[in-house]
Amino acid sequence: MFMSEITEQGSVAEEGTVSDAAVADGRRAEKRKAAAYAIAVAGWVVPGLGHAILKMWGRAAACFLTVGLLVVLGAGMRGNIFASGGGDAFDTLGYFADLGAGGFYFVARSIEKQGADVSHANGDYGTRFLATAGILNLLAALHAFEAARGHKA
Amino acid sequence: MIEVSGVRLSHFQAMAIFAVVISLAFGFLSRRKAGDRLRYVGWSLFLFLVIGIGIGWVMYPFSR
Repeated sequence: MFMSEITEQGSVAEEGTVSDAAVADGRRAEKRKAAAYAIAVAGWVVPGLGHAILKMWGRAAACFLTVGLLVVLGAGMRGNIFASGGGDAFDTLGYFADLGAGGFYFVARSIEKQGADVSHANGDYGTRFLATAGILNLLAALHAFEAARGHKA
Repeated sequence: MIEVSGVRLSHFQAMAIFAVVISLAFGFLSRRKAGDRLRYVGWSLFLFLVIGIGIGWVMYPFSR
């Protein structure tokens, strides 16, 4: 009888300890998840910033330079920068792809003052460069998100 | 503001720049060590160029 009471009390105490630890772990996980979302958004707005916050300097520089180069070349080649009021589904898809470059979307718009010229191959390639910059930046932001969550990246 | 306009690239130059940039980005994102990155970038760049030029040759008879 006495032994069983001790055992019951012990198990209750252990359960209480485990429960507190589990709650603390849960809070830590929630905080980490919120931070990971913030890092992903930062990485989207400024290419490479997500990795820079995580002190992954090489990846941060690579993201910034590659996305930046694609945007500058794409806009310089007078590629099509899609706007929000697209006429069809492809325009809308192009807009989302371009918007993936975050702040660089507006850099591209400021560079390309003469408007798009897709009547030549250069303009067509420019359009692809701009879309690729956006998709690449989204991929980098997703990578930073996974790294911030502690997943192997 | 940055003044970049009238950038003119040949088909091969555009493909080569695209291949270099994407290979670099993939290499840095998917590998941690410098040696692994270099090997990945080199191999990826090689495949981009070989497959791109190969597809160009395959399409050549249909371009006329």
